[in-house]
Amino acid sequence: MARKRQPVLPTTVVGSYSVPEWLERLKTDYYQRRISGQHLAEIHEIAIKAAIKDQERAGIDIVSDGELRRDNDVDYFLARIPGVLVPHHAKTYYFDYYEAEVTRPLPEDPEPSLGLADDFAFTRGQTDRPIKFSFTGPFSLSRRITDTGAYKDQADLVRAIARRLGAEARALVAAGAELLQIDEPFLAGYREDVELAVEAVNIVTDGVAATWALHVCYGNRYARPLWEGHYDFLFPAVQAAKVDQLVLEFARRGLDDLRLFRAYEWDRSLGLGVVDVKSAEVETPELIARRIRRALEYVPAERLVINPDCGLRHQPAEVARAKLRAMVAGTEQVRQELAAEARKASAPPDDRQRSATGAPAGQRA
Amino acid sequence: MRIDVRAVKRLRESVDAAAVFGPIVQAIGASSADLSRVRVVCDWIQYKNNFREVVDHRPVLGAWPGRREDGGLEIAVDLRRCPDVDLATRVKEVLAEALADMPGGMSGGVPLAAERRTDGRADGRAAGSDGGPGGNRVTLEDWVPGRDSCVWRFNALYWQALSQWEKATGREYEQALPGGESDARNQEAVRELILELFKVWDDLDARQALPEELYIVELGVGNGNQARTWLDAFAELDVARGRDYYQRLHYLMGDYSPHVLERARKAVAHHGDRVNALVLDATRPAHTLGFLAGKAFLVYISNLYDNLPSDEVACIDGRMYQVEVRAYLPAAAARTIAQTYGLGPVSPGRGNPDRPPGDLGTVIDRLLRLGPELLSVSLPDRFPDTERAVAFWRDVWNGLRLQERYVPMAGLDLYEIAPSLSGEILRSVLEAAGDIRMHVNNGTLSSFADTLRLLHPYGRLQCHDLFLTDRRQYRTGFYGPGKYDGSVVNWVNGPLLQLIGNRRGFDVSFSPFKQRPSANVKTLTAQARD
Repeated sequence: MARKRQPVLPTTVVGSYSVPEWLERLKTDYYQRRISGQHLAEIHEIAIKAAIKDQERAGIDIVSDGELRRDNDVDYFLARIPGVLVPHHAKTYYFDYYEAEVTRPLPEDPEPSLGLADDFAFTRGQTDRPIKFSFTGPFSLSRRITDTGAYKDQADLVRAIARRLGAEARALVAAGAELLQIDEPFLAGYREDVELAVEAVNIVTDGVAATWALHVCYGNRYARPLWEGHYDFLFPAVQAAKVDQLVLEFARRGLDDLRLFRAYEWDRSLGLGVVDVKSAEVETPELIARRIRRALEYVPAERLVINPDCGLRHQPAEVARAKLRAMVAGTEQVRQELAAEARKASAPPDDRQRSATGAPAGQRA
Repeated sequence: MRIDVRAVKRLRESVDAAAVFGPIVQAIGASSADLSRVRVVCDWIQYKNNFREVVDHRPVLGAWPGRREDGGLEIAVDLRRCPDVDLATRVKEVLAEALADMPGGMSGGVPLAAERRTDGRADGRAAGSDGGPGGNRVTLEDWVPGRDSCVWRFNALYWQALSQWEKATGREYEQALPGGESDARNQEAVRELILELFKVWDDLDARQALPEELYIVELGVGNGNQARTWLDAFAELDVARGRDYYQRLHYLMGDYSPHVLERARKAVAHHGDRVNALVLDATRPAHTLGFLAGKAFLVYISNLYDNLPSDEVACIDGRMYQVEVRAYLPAAAARTIAQTYGLGPVSPGRGNPDRPPGDLGTVIDRLLRLGPELLSVSLPDRFPDTERAVAFWRDVWNGLRLQERYVPMAGLDLYEIAPSLSGEILRSVLEAAGDIRMHVNNGTLSSFADTLRLLHPYGRLQCHDLFLTDRRQYRTGFYGPGKYDGSVVNWVNGPLLQLIGNRRGFDVSFSPFKQRPSANVKTLTAQARD
């Protein structure tokens, strides 16, 4: 089935989707060896189908698998990267981080090994809608690895991980992925390292024919911000990133940082966070619409994508669904306003006059 | 039959404790009870004032009506007080009462589950009626989870009318604490904490990430000594370092007792506008302090958590139970109180409109609603002055006891610890511990989870209180409820707090209380991790 053309202000998610309490319990059971990996994989597939269905029913234009296979945003990758050692695989709670280390340089292998293309292929089989596939970026992954003598310079570990992720990206594109997103959830806490992070992003995206998004937030682990501040630290370094879209959080923090997009003349897309994922309070469509209108003062509609601030994993399913519905409804309000303006702008002069007064021009004498 | 001795240390130390088992086993063995469904639980209740009888029975209700093997009976014994009673006789009386309460349930093979109504709710004897064939209890409420018991209304009254209670007893509440004072005046520990805070602020300031307003919160302010010690040290250290953080400081004191808060305010009056005081619900601090979400650099809490409403849950033979309680006065105590204060005969039916206004249960209810001062105003013939009403309050409190029973839980996920905190989180603790009975400390968990929301990413929560630090302690000791003066005390389930903190991204650790390392009081510290 041919996929429909994307509307103006396409709606999407950032990645993760609500993880129900029962799924958390089953994931923990797996990490405590009470259920098998086979059972958990089957459970994940059912949960992913439900997550996709939720997004479709909410009216999301570009959906994701909800990252429901992942224990957290780091370990799912680190545990699969050859050369990264995880001494203890059992976890008290599935969401805890592993203690990972590298003792020697990561093996350089151009073949993918993380299985991300398979994850994508499963999702592709469940929906006709465009898919965003996201993975954690090399800089953030490196922050959770203890280097015990592998690299003289921590930056070399970041670059090595980037090359590994680049291989995964090529496999993803070969599997049909068109929109890929790199998440850097820790970058805001290491603002002095933005140039290194951007360099690593460019290693990942190099030669990979996809639409690339880069997501930088202030942390969403346990639905709490890990850092505070402003996005000033990203600029101007982020302008060197070979990505098509920046995906940032605005709903929780306010829209002040939109000024950066004008000040630095950002000429690519912006994924505008309009839903606060750290609060269970559901936004009204009117609030969503107001946020979008404000953003339109800085970024034109054709370069604006509408999404939550970050993943919805910490919100209960009913809250996540309601937030997505509100986001879609608010976006639709603005689309209609834009369409009305476009009609008005393209109408012949007489029609414009008539429309302005509410009566045909010839009847107003 | 199983005998579960939790007071293991006392068992080794006390000949008296070991000597009680013969009479208990003999008395139970001579009864018609189905011994395969009886267990005896022996505690050593260290609180001189508590809610337990020396020997009592606790039904273990069945989950499935009609199943013979469901349910059972627990005989609870306080080893400390056993020498004070004729144990064999007392056990026989308790068994007789238990078997009468559960017709055929333990002797004739009729399942205990038959006691439960068909709607799945546990049936309860109407409040106000006498329990047992001897009519030896005057109940003050229906069966309820521990947190909903009227003992917490007494507890709230104590804090609301503290000045009247103190006047009657002639001592301030701090003197009722073990050691006679609260725990937070350690100058060295305070200075250490402040210097650590300065370091965090210096680092954030260097990264231009230090907020203009610097918030410190204290919950449960006592008499203000902690706040005064802390603020005096802060001001002095700040002057010495010259960073002028003091001018940006906001010290917020929160307490649920206006009387306590007012006393604390006076203690820190010399810090003027730097200090604000707020009356708040200790179990939901964010309701009042929500504007501080993510902004508090230090939340300090002392002797608060052990005084908040708590349920208890138990795992018995692999099945989860909630402990339900029912407050009562022993009939003899009730008669004495009624005679002393000229109250009418005790009549059944709490909430019964036909119950006479001078009925003991009605007057207790009125005391809890109005407090002693207004009780005196409303019933001047019985209570000519506030002092007389306080005396009544104290007599009732001294006599107050709790009956207990175990009610099967339909599912931990259906059990609400507090709003937005599901009982599912108990699973890992309960499942890992085998047979265990433990506090949920609902009010504390709610307060703790709510308070974590207030912390700045570089903030810290520090709390001094009575914490268990290992769930296995529940197998070897008694941790409440007890009576501290006019308030209720339960030790706090530390492992559960750790779990709640961990699931919210905080490391939660316990350390000895620096001022008195050998004290039961421990220091909890929670800080963001990852």
